[in-house]
Amino acid sequence: MLFRLAWATLARHRSRTLLAILGVAVSAAMLLDMVMLSSGMRESFRHLLLVRGFQLRLSPKGTLPFDTDATIADASGVIRILGGIPEIDAVSPVLGGQLHVARGATTVTAAAIGGDAAVQGDYEITEGREPVAPNELVASDDFIRAAGVRVGDTLSAAAGYDAQFRTFSGARRLALVGRAHFLYTANEQRVVALPLATLQAMQGRASHDRVSFFMVRAREGASVDSVLGRIERAVPRVSVISTEVALRQVDERLSYFRQLAFILGSVSLGVGFLLVTTLVTVSVNERLGEIVVMRAIGVARGRVVLQIVLEGTAIMLVGALAGLGLGMLTARYLNSILASFPGLPAAIDFFLFQPRDAWAALGMLVIAGILAGIYPSWRGASMPIAVTLREEAVG
Amino acid sequence: MSETPVVETRDVRRDYHMGEEIVHAVRGVSLEIARGDSVAIVGPSGCGKSTLLNLVGGIDRPTAGMVIVDGDRVDAMRDATATRFRLLRIGFVFQRFYLMPALSAAENVELPMAEAGMSGRKRAARARELLAYVGLAERRSHRPAQLSGGEQQRVAIARALANAPRILLADEPTGELDAKTGAEMIELLARVNRDGTTLVVVTHDEALARAARRVVHMRDGLVVDDHRQVGV
Amino acid sequence: MIVALLAAVALLQQIDSSPPHRPPRTIAVDERLAVDAGVRLGDQLIVSRAPGGDGDTVVVSAFVRRRADPSEVARAEYRVRMHLGELQSLIDYGDRVDRFALSSVTPATTDSAIRRINGTAFGFQAYRSRDIAVETSRTFLVVSRFHRAIGVITIVASAIFLLCIMLLKVDERRRDVAALRLMGISAGSITGSVMVEAAVVAVVGSGVGLALGWVSTLIINWHYRGVYRTPLAFALVTPDIALLAVTLSLVLGLLAGFAAARRLVGMPPLELLTGRHDDRRPLGVERAR
Repeated sequence: MLFRLAWATLARHRSRTLLAILGVAVSAAMLLDMVMLSSGMRESFRHLLLVRGFQLRLSPKGTLPFDTDATIADASGVIRILGGIPEIDAVSPVLGGQLHVARGATTVTAAAIGGDAAVQGDYEITEGREPVAPNELVASDDFIRAAGVRVGDTLSAAAGYDAQFRTFSGARRLALVGRAHFLYTANEQRVVALPLATLQAMQGRASHDRVSFFMVRAREGASVDSVLGRIERAVPRVSVISTEVALRQVDERLSYFRQLAFILGSVSLGVGFLLVTTLVTVSVNERLGEIVVMRAIGVARGRVVLQIVLEGTAIMLVGALAGLGLGMLTARYLNSILASFPGLPAAIDFFLFQPRDAWAALGMLVIAGILAGIYPSWRGASMPIAVTLREEAVG
Repeated sequence: MSETPVVETRDVRRDYHMGEEIVHAVRGVSLEIARGDSVAIVGPSGCGKSTLLNLVGGIDRPTAGMVIVDGDRVDAMRDATATRFRLLRIGFVFQRFYLMPALSAAENVELPMAEAGMSGRKRAARARELLAYVGLAERRSHRPAQLSGGEQQRVAIARALANAPRILLADEPTGELDAKTGAEMIELLARVNRDGTTLVVVTHDEALARAARRVVHMRDGLVVDDHRQVGV
Repeated sequence: MIVALLAAVALLQQIDSSPPHRPPRTIAVDERLAVDAGVRLGDQLIVSRAPGGDGDTVVVSAFVRRRADPSEVARAEYRVRMHLGELQSLIDYGDRVDRFALSSVTPATTDSAIRRINGTAFGFQAYRSRDIAVETSRTFLVVSRFHRAIGVITIVASAIFLLCIMLLKVDERRRDVAALRLMGISAGSITGSVMVEAAVVAVVGSGVGLALGWVSTLIINWHYRGVYRTPLAFALVTPDIALLAVTLSLVLGLLAGFAAARRLVGMPPLELLTGRHDDRRPLGVERAR
């Protein structure tokens, strides 16, 4: 009967109820988006870091991978040392640079990744095959489009370009053997991958036996922290970065978004709370007579409160469910804006949907709905019956 | 009629603070109402008759004195106990009906039964029975806004009888009705009383007062006359 | 390139012992680096091209504060300023630089200067600083777009909230409105009165909101300047923004008040009083049998 009365009361003021639900829906959408934003980046980045199973990165001491132009010398020596650590399953060396491809009067420049195709963790082949021979490379869709080439073509490429004298250095002819989706590059970035030794040779003496960083994969069952410690002791001239450390760095750099998410999420929750509490207060004030009569005919105070709280909670619940759908749409839109964030891999989702986020948002809204209704309903149900009846009769 | 009073007030008083002034709404009223009786409490506006009714019904507490209803001291009950007491032992009818506008006539009648824990099926059956009793069997699905004043008051009476109370307290039940409808209401209340429910009515309506077996006159918070009517 | 190399020169060693062979050169150090590494004015350091490698002994003669450049906000690198020749020598750069910064005689001559440089200098490209700033501020632009989108969503939510509140406020007084209508007060007068009320609520609310917003910007700027160690202003309440907020709020409030009031005055006064629909036919019209 209480549910029936709550429902009937809400249905009686249809437009008011619908507007309140709409208001809660927008608040709920915003809240869901902010909950997704607060954890999405981190989880998305974690997933990205571990997508190929490499849990550790080794970079020049005091730097992060590709943060600077610094390189690690004696790369082959490092690989030898790491090979002696039994808990390590694979070591992927990576050298970064640029490749300039002449296309008639123009030059197409791409970011170049030199690596070992057998253990690389930077890309996935979508057409063709890995570049295993010295004079082979694979490229991203954006590069292939910009250069106007196809898989199977041979390119004239150089590692160095002097813009002032318009001369190339470290030039070679390379065969495009595959198209690849690069995991860690930004949107519309032109990227190529070729064998490490080829890129080192093209870059000249300065890059002999040098890499930008290593990716390391621990054996299944091995403790990543233990491997980290062993590497730090064995190769003290590098910084060993675990997934957690990398995530902390990301957290720090993108802390603005987490804080914004917290603030906007709180504001959304507050707005929803205010809306429901205002609605319940007005509703109670409007039917004070009905409420005290319910008490007069013997309905317990707690049940009167419960009935009114149910009204507020129902608005919150229905609004929250509508808001979940709306939130997914707005999240996609907001994600598309942030996807063009410079320097971040395109694969990063700022708004990552996880069911626990939806439950968290729903839970917060329901609790807010309950709390929003408690004070006005308790106040209404506690009015002195006789005095209120008299005032209602006079009014 | 049984000799044990169903309502007994002993020197009951009720004072209100209106700003700096104290209003003595009821100034020491001692009254006994026998089981099965019908009593009309009459008097000019502000004489304390509605206040006395509220004290008897437990929806107001006396400043002093005792109120005993059906053997229990209502004035000493905690709020939750008094509420439960009203639900099961007392029926209320108000001048302005106070039906739940969002519920149908049947649902309004079912409301006290639901609170008392009666099952859905039994509630529905009893609601049908009560609405038939008050002559509104065919209007059970109508909302209050779709009923006339007299019909609404009938629904209110059916609601008051939902849990088969010992006593029906009515505060100006014909106050918002025209003469013809008021007469129908008087007949219905008389029938309720004939069927065994003690009836206490506060009224300005002379016809309603004439229909009661006993009339209690109040003035300035005191009972000034109390007599049984001959031939009722 | 130079900056990147310097960023890679992470190991700066402090010397406390034997004096240098020649008078040490001076450098200016990023104040962030000074704080984090505990460097003081007058300290002697060794700057080298590679960690642990041979380098030059220098003396810290100044601290440098970063400019309010949005593109540098999230970057955690340190910077030092050296004399050009010393840096070229240190990193074997020869007689090379990454870029020149030019100042034209008057703003009007900038365009012609750019044209002459691009037409004359071999392998050079000249740009206006403003165009470079736009390119390097992409981060900031993305964040701005994001904020704008959030702002739009907030406005939509506020509009709905405002309409709901006005509806509730007006509904609360339906009996008063009914009494006024019965007395002969026109629907237009009542609507106008409600709109005035809505306007006052909107304007006063905007004022409170602006004050709240201004205090918030102070807190936001204080917080993020500390976090990112930059003089950049992260949030600003400008006169344009204030005007937009108040105007939008007023317009939304008036619309909400109008919608709520029209809904109420559209109902017959008796229905407002009793809550009952009046479906009686006018006199003289008989029901069809």
